[in-house]
Amino acid sequence: MKFAKALKIPKFASQISNTLLRGGVMVAPSLPREEIEMTDATPGRSATPLISMRNIHKRFGSLHALRGASLDVHAGEVVALVGDNGAGKSTMVKVMAGVHMATSGEYEFEGKPVTINSPTDAQKLGIQTVYQDLALCANLDAVQNLFLGRELTGSGLFGRRLRRAESEVKAREVLGRMRLGNLSLTRPVGAMSGGQRQNIAIARSILWTPKVVILDEPTAALSHSAAEQVGTLIRTLADQGLGIVVVSHDIHNFVVNATDRIEVMRLGANAASFKSSEVTGEQVVNAMVGGNEGVNLAG
Amino acid sequence: MADTTVTTAAPPLVRRRSIGELLSSDFRALPIVIGLVALWVFFTIQSDVFLTARNLSNLLVQSTVVGIMALGVMFVLLVKEIDLSVAAINGVTSVLMAKLIVEAGVSPWLAVPMAIAIGALIGSLSARWVTFVGVPSFVVTLGLGLALNGLQLILLPATARYSLNGTGLEKIALTNIGGIWAWVVLVIGLLVFAGLVFSEAARRNKAGLETPVMRGVVAPIVAATGFGIVVVAILSAHKGIPLVVLIFAVLLGLGGYVLKQTQFGLYLYAVGNNDEAARRSGVKVDRIKMTAFAIAGGVAALAGVIAASRTLGVGVFSGGGVGGGTLLLESIAAAVIGGVSLFGGRGSIHAALLGALVIGTVSNGLNLMGVENEIRLIVTGLLLVLAVSIDKLIEKATGQQSF
Repeated sequence: MKFAKALKIPKFASQISNTLLRGGVMVAPSLPREEIEMTDATPGRSATPLISMRNIHKRFGSLHALRGASLDVHAGEVVALVGDNGAGKSTMVKVMAGVHMATSGEYEFEGKPVTINSPTDAQKLGIQTVYQDLALCANLDAVQNLFLGRELTGSGLFGRRLRRAESEVKAREVLGRMRLGNLSLTRPVGAMSGGQRQNIAIARSILWTPKVVILDEPTAALSHSAAEQVGTLIRTLADQGLGIVVVSHDIHNFVVNATDRIEVMRLGANAASFKSSEVTGEQVVNAMVGGNEGVNLAG
Repeated sequence: MADTTVTTAAPPLVRRRSIGELLSSDFRALPIVIGLVALWVFFTIQSDVFLTARNLSNLLVQSTVVGIMALGVMFVLLVKEIDLSVAAINGVTSVLMAKLIVEAGVSPWLAVPMAIAIGALIGSLSARWVTFVGVPSFVVTLGLGLALNGLQLILLPATARYSLNGTGLEKIALTNIGGIWAWVVLVIGLLVFAGLVFSEAARRNKAGLETPVMRGVVAPIVAATGFGIVVVAILSAHKGIPLVVLIFAVLLGLGGYVLKQTQFGLYLYAVGNNDEAARRSGVKVDRIKMTAFAIAGGVAALAGVIAASRTLGVGVFSGGGVGGGTLLLESIAAAVIGGVSLFGGRGSIHAALLGALVIGTVSNGLNLMGVENEIRLIVTGLLLVLAVSIDKLIEKATGQQSF
C-alpha cells in the first residue's frame, strides 16, 4: 500500500501538470485531440465566450438568491467567483452546472441560447463540476464513481446492462495518464484515503473532454503549497483551451495569484469585476463586503 | 487475486485483502450463514424431524412469502427509504383479486397480473408522495398501510372471507415439479447462470482485461451447481420443487441480475449512499425511488397471491391482519437480518433468502420443539438485534465500513 502514502495532493497536482506539459493531454480517447488544441490558437480570451449568463434570477420559495447576476467564461481563461457567504456564488455555479434551473435569465453556450434542465444537459455541452464534497458514492468503486450517470451500457433485460469490462479499460486508461494506475478499481471509494478520493473526483471531471470545468472551493482543505499546485494545474488546463471557473474564499493567496479575472458577487448580483493582475486582495475583500476603500465598515 | 491489465504498463497489483476487508465485502454473508448452520445443528439435535426432506421442504415453502416480501422491501431499503405498507398492499390486493375472481368471475390469469399491477401502482404513488411533498416515507407508508387495511375490510363480504378453493388459484400452492422435471428446471437455471458468467468473462477477455478464471468463472459455477443439486435432491425426496419455491428462486435470480448487472441496479446503490451526488451526476433520483417502491408494491402483491393460494382464501388475516402484524415485521426483519442496511446503499440479493430462512427456521424449529408462539416472537426479535449487532461489531473491530 505504498501508493496510498505517496500520493499526497501536491505531488498529484504536479504530476498532472507534468503530464499536460509533456503533451499527454488528459482527455478521453473518444474525441480527437485537435479539437482541444485548436483553441490554443486563441490565447487569453476568445471573442465569443464559452458561457455567457445574463441577468440570472433564482428564487427558492421566498428566498431571492440571485438578483440579476451575470457571468462570462471564455476559453483559456480562469475566472474566480468570489463573495461573502450567501452572496449567491454557489447558486450561480449550480445554475451553470444544471443542478438548479434559473427562475429567469439568459444562458448562452458558445454564443447560442441553451436551456439546461439537468446536470446531464450541462455535461453534454461540456461543462464539468468538481464539488467541494467531491460528490462520490462511498459504497461504489472507482470505476462506478468515474462513470456515474454516464455509464457505458448495452441493451439488456430490465433496462440498460452495464458494460463493466469496457468501463474498466477506459478508467484505467485515464487514470494511467494521470499516473494513478495503482488506484484499486474494485475497492469501495469509502475505504480509500482523502487524497485518493480527490484524485477520483478530478479524474471524473476530465474523463469526458469538457470545455468548461467548475471547481468549487478546490483549495479549502489544502495547505498553502498544495493550493499553489492546484493553481498550476488550473493554469495548465486553461492553457489547453478550457474555461475554468473557480469558487473560492482563499482571496489573498489563491484567487489573486492563480486566476485571470475576479467576479465579485454580493447579495445575489455582480458587485465588481477585476483583472487579477491589477488588484490587491484588500480591494477584492472590500468589494465583497460592500465597503469602499478608506471607508470604515462600522461607520 | 491479481487485478492486472494487459493494455497498460501498470505494474501487477497483488494485493492481499485483510480478513476485515473480506468480511465487509465479499464474505459479508459469512456470519449469517454460520448463524443459519448453527440454528440447523441446534434444531437437528432437538428434533428428529427437523432434518428430514419433508420438513426442509416445508420450511422452504413457509419461508417464501416472507422471503418474497423481503426481496421487494430490499429495493426500497437500498434507496434509503422504508415501506411500511407492503403487508397492507399484500392484503388489499389479494382481497381485491379474490373479489374479482369470486364475485365478478374474472379469470385468475387476469386477476393475478391485475393484483400485481395495482400493488406496483400503490407503491409508486407513495413514492410520488414522498419525493414530491417531502414527507418521510416512514410516515407516508405507515398512514397508507392503515388506510389500505381499512379498504381491505370494506372490500371483504359480510362473511369476512372469500374462499378461493376450486377457482384454480389454489393450484399455485399445490403444484410441485417432481421427478425428471425438477432436474430439468435446475439445468435450465444453471445454464442461464453459467451463460451470464461466461459472457462477462468473454467481455473482459475481449477488452484485454485479465480474467480471474478460478475466482470469476469456475468458483461461482461450481458453487451454484453444488448448491442447486443439494436443494433439488432434498426437494425431490419429498414431492419435488414446489411451484412457490421456484417462483421465489426465479425472483431471486432476476433481482440479483438487476442489482448487479443493470444501470438501474447501480443507481439504487448510488442513490442510497449519496442521493445528492447521484442527482448531480444526472441520475433521476425520484424516478429510481419510484421504481424501487413500485417493485416493492408489485412483489408484495405477488406474495399476497401466493399467501392466498396457500391459505385457500383471503380474509381479515390477509396481509398479516390489521397493522401488518408479524408479516410486516418479519419481512423487514428478514431483509435486515440478511444484511440490508436501513441506512441505504448496502445489501445483496441473497439477503432476502438468508433472512427469510433464518426467520423460517426459528419458527419451524421451535414449532417442532413444541415451544409456544410467544417464545418464537422473542427469539426472532432477539435474533434481529443480534444479527445487526454482529455486523456493527465486525465494523468496529476491523475499522472497515461495510458496503
